[in-house]
Amino acid sequence: MDGPSVAWYIALAAVLFGIGALGVLIRRNTLVVLLSLELMLNAGNLALIALSRHFHNGAGQIFALTVMAIAASEVCVGLGLVVALNRRNLSLDVDTLSELRG
Amino acid sequence: MSASYLTSILIWLPIAGAVLIWLLPLSRYATGALALLISFAEVGFWIKQAAHFDFSQPGLQMSGQANWFGELGVSYHVGVYGFSLWLVGLTVVGMAACTGYGFWVGRDRPRAYFGLMLLLTGATVGVFEAQDLLLFYAFFEAMLIPLYILIGVWGGARRSEATIKFVIYTMAGSLIMLAAIIVYGLKAGTFDLVDGPTSASRWLFLGFMLAFVIKAPLFPFHGWLPDAYREAPPEIAAVLSGVIAKAGLYGMLRIAITKFPDPTSYYRTTVLALAAAALVYGSLLAFRAPDFRGVVAYSSLAQSGLITLGLFAGTDLGFDGAVLQMVAHGLISISLFLIAGAVERRTTTGEFRLLGGMARGRPALATLLMTVGVISLAVPGSASFAGEFLILAGVFQRHWWWAAIGAGAIVLAAMYMLRLISAVLHEARGSTVSDSALDLRPGELALVVPLVAGLLFLSAWPAGISDHSFFGPSPAAAVKSGFK
Amino acid sequence: MTGGSWLCLLAPLVGTILILLGGSWLPRVAAAWIATTSVFVAFGGAVWAFFSLRNQSGHHGEITTAWTWLQSDHFSVGLQLLVDPLSTMMMLIVAGVGGLIVLYSIGYMDGDDEERRYFAYIAFFVFSMLLLVEGGNLLMLLVGWGLVGLSSYLLIGFWHERPSAVRAAKKAFIMNAFGDATMALAFFILIAHTNSLSFGVLGAHFSSTQANLIALGLLGGAVAKSAQIPLQTWLPDAMEGPTPVSALIHAATMVTAGVYLIARTHVIFEQARTIELLAAGTGALTLLVAGLIALVQTDIKRVIAYSTMSQIGYMFVGVGVGGYANGMFHLMTHAFFKALLFMTAGLAIHALANEQDIRKMRGLGRVMPLTKWCFLAGALALVGIPPFAGFFSKDPIIASTLNIGWYGYVFYACCIVGAFLTGLYTFRLWFLVFPGEPSPFVREHYHDHHGREGAWTMLVPVGILAVLATVGGWIQFPPHWDPVTKWLAPVAPSLPNAVPSSTQETVTSIVAVLVGLAGIAVAWAVYSERKIAIPAAPSLRRLLEEKFYFDRLYDWIFYTPSAWLATALRREFEEPVVLQTGTDLGDTTLATGGLVRRLQTGLLRTYVFFIAAGAAAVVLAFLIAK
Repeated sequence: MDGPSVAWYIALAAVLFGIGALGVLIRRNTLVVLLSLELMLNAGNLALIALSRHFHNGAGQIFALTVMAIAASEVCVGLGLVVALNRRNLSLDVDTLSELRG
Repeated sequence: MSASYLTSILIWLPIAGAVLIWLLPLSRYATGALALLISFAEVGFWIKQAAHFDFSQPGLQMSGQANWFGELGVSYHVGVYGFSLWLVGLTVVGMAACTGYGFWVGRDRPRAYFGLMLLLTGATVGVFEAQDLLLFYAFFEAMLIPLYILIGVWGGARRSEATIKFVIYTMAGSLIMLAAIIVYGLKAGTFDLVDGPTSASRWLFLGFMLAFVIKAPLFPFHGWLPDAYREAPPEIAAVLSGVIAKAGLYGMLRIAITKFPDPTSYYRTTVLALAAAALVYGSLLAFRAPDFRGVVAYSSLAQSGLITLGLFAGTDLGFDGAVLQMVAHGLISISLFLIAGAVERRTTTGEFRLLGGMARGRPALATLLMTVGVISLAVPGSASFAGEFLILAGVFQRHWWWAAIGAGAIVLAAMYMLRLISAVLHEARGSTVSDSALDLRPGELALVVPLVAGLLFLSAWPAGISDHSFFGPSPAAAVKSGFK
Repeated sequence: MTGGSWLCLLAPLVGTILILLGGSWLPRVAAAWIATTSVFVAFGGAVWAFFSLRNQSGHHGEITTAWTWLQSDHFSVGLQLLVDPLSTMMMLIVAGVGGLIVLYSIGYMDGDDEERRYFAYIAFFVFSMLLLVEGGNLLMLLVGWGLVGLSSYLLIGFWHERPSAVRAAKKAFIMNAFGDATMALAFFILIAHTNSLSFGVLGAHFSSTQANLIALGLLGGAVAKSAQIPLQTWLPDAMEGPTPVSALIHAATMVTAGVYLIARTHVIFEQARTIELLAAGTGALTLLVAGLIALVQTDIKRVIAYSTMSQIGYMFVGVGVGGYANGMFHLMTHAFFKALLFMTAGLAIHALANEQDIRKMRGLGRVMPLTKWCFLAGALALVGIPPFAGFFSKDPIIASTLNIGWYGYVFYACCIVGAFLTGLYTFRLWFLVFPGEPSPFVREHYHDHHGREGAWTMLVPVGILAVLATVGGWIQFPPHWDPVTKWLAPVAPSLPNAVPSSTQETVTSIVAVLVGLAGIAVAWAVYSERKIAIPAAPSLRRLLEEKFYFDRLYDWIFYTPSAWLATALRREFEEPVVLQTGTDLGDTTLATGGLVRRLQTGLLRTYVFFIAAGAAAVVLAFLIAK
């Protein structure tokens, strides 16, 4: 087998996931939060595919495909919300959007 | 069975009707008329079902079964026995009268109201017909949702408090029952009530019983009862005490006693003691209740106690008497609450100190209240006398003191019922009773008179129910065999 | 035979239903005549049943079943009627006297604005009473028993705007419900041991405890219905009802049902001889107590009511010692003369604008001569002066106590003293009300009915009953002539030791008549001539006026504690514990919700943090588990 060992892929996925998670936690712009979410999902995908190849098991790739589909729909809803917020001239700052506070 | 479609129709017709009413933008009048029509159709279908029912055959009749979650042993399984046939009849007749009352009074937000009433009808019929535990549970819960909304939206001044109490009590009971159902079903490998085995687990028995004693209710689980009966609109209070409470008692008979014979005999004395306590306690409180609905509410508590005495006596007479008394008390309670509603509409109050003297110039009201009242206090010869006599004779065979307590409570029943009758009808005219308070109108008569006529018919022939509830001569044997 | 019994039972029911359905478009007169006709049709049915039974050899009677009324397992009770000598005798009395009284009501109730309701009720009463006496098994008997209680309640409280009437009606119903309950308990014992409620099972073999308990339960019902001590206090209050009701229900028919019950179920009482003698003892005690209380009553109807209690006491003595025919015969003559007394009292009350106080009525005989003579016939029959009816029926009862043992002598003494009291209180009433110059009150308030003392519908029944009170007793004069005893022999043969010897009969008759005359003489001396002053004895007088404090005692033992208990349960348990539990559960749920609500910050990062923390916790948990 050529290429880097699976550990590298996992490490890369972990780094990407960390960046994404930090982005979600720290950034306040809705668009960036969505981007960070995508990043986390794709980190997951990377890990799935890498491990799938490592274990010669196709299930991981199937999962990755499912995640992509979910990610796509999630982006649709998310971006739709952003557009809707923008149309009603609401701030895109997630901290100000706290109407669901209990 | 050729007529098995009736069983499912009785459940799904009103539910379909409810959906239709919610979807169609009908006028206020058309909505009520459609709901009433469907309720009458239900009565018609039930009569057909009763006509097709073969009392000489054992086992489940007019059953229908469809796969639901096959691997878990869960199926859509419905059917009727003799006793469930009578309870279904009570439900459809009672719901028709109460829907009619809602129509007569002209409840606002009619589409929501009538839709919920129909949904309630379907769900309650479902409870009495379901032969699968999970299906039973689904209907048991589905029955509660419309009730929450009906009390919470159309109720009296303190309706939200009443609703919260009702929700919490009944939810607590049914969630524990759900746990019991799951454990029972997984252990037995099937959730079917007909094929399921009996169980000796006391915990499961208690889980089921908790839901049923809250629903019936029995002392001291009746914390929700006075508020709910006082704050609900009168026709909903009528449904609650006349029909819904019977679901709890039916559950005791169909599930707790039938499926858990050993725990039943283990806890028999405890349950009988609770039932006797409910009987005496309810009668005493009814005797001092300050208002019309209070008396009927606590008398319902007492009656639930009495019926439970009959069920847990475990004797032939006890079972027959309990079924008869369920139907008789259902009709009595619905009539009384509807009459209470009529009185409240005329005087704006149900409080005894503000009422009185309504008999003068209101012969229909006086005659009907008097008739239902004396039937309710079990004057010998009435349907409820027949029921109570069988129950007490049955429980006497268990031990004489239960019957002695019951006989004492019947004297108390005479005391509180006569107090109600004279406080409303007799003596000096109450301060809220004006000349403009009319006698019962034809619309109200059309609702109450058939119920009273039913009671009188049952009084003339109580054997119609007591001898046609269980297959074979011995109900106790039928229960023991799981109604096979 | 059975056709007659069904006709007899159903005619009044049909009458009730017609009047009820007719409602307000039925003319008042029509309602009255429907009721009257229906009861007379019932009498026709009774006569039919009587004659067909007479033609049957052996007079054993017949049971017919309409349908199965109640069934469970092998326990089955039919809607059955029984025609036998005992029931036909009662049918004749109930429908016959009932018909006369309903006819009398037409005049008496004329002008009341709820006449229709009255006639519906009274026809329903006759139906219930006929069901009681015709019922072919114990449960049907109990059904009739309860329904007469119901109709008695309805009729006592007929003038429902009077609080006293409503209270009296409730009291009557509840005391009777108590009796119903003890009867039901007796039936439960029967069901538990024989699984049946036919009259026949009473002859089954029971252990002595069982037999005693069954008899005691039945006796409880009999005592409540017949207003014997200790359940007697409702009867005087029941006089709140219209006077024909007092005549029909609280004198002639319903209150004597207890006697019928004991005669009907005598088989079990004979197995429980102690209880049967207890019944006799109850009767003996009641006849004395009621006779004493009657001495101080001032309400004309209450005097007669206490005399009713006292006379039923005699009947209880009669059936209690085992002379069932004696008791039933006295029941019959009593129905005649007591209905007569009530109806003549009703004539007086009606003519005096509803006044019932005898102290205001002096000299009424001058303006109402017919009433006076009819009342006298009834009074002499009540005291038992020959040849009036009471003489023939009361003396055999007294004589029959002589052969049963030492307690028989006690009963005998009570009965003789009771006969004296009867003479005294009856003629106290007579001398206070009828002879002499009319009092100012009578002069002022007396109004006749188109020149007569009452409407013809009232006078005719009074006349007929006056004749019956005079000659009605001649159908039996033991030991020489005893058709009633023979007629009842197939159903309720008297016990051998309840049959007195010829000498005992004769001596007793002489003693009883003399004692009765002595009572009359004393009444004459005290109340007419005022030669003897009434002894002051205020405490004794108060004891009698307070009716031996029974009412207060029951208030104190039953009503007050149960009302207190009910209130206390509500205040101390229902509201603070049961209802509060509901509120507390609600509050706790809401409070818990309030706590959890704080986690819902509305900030995205809090949620993410919780998701991350949750995921970490799950991973950690798995790692640890591994």
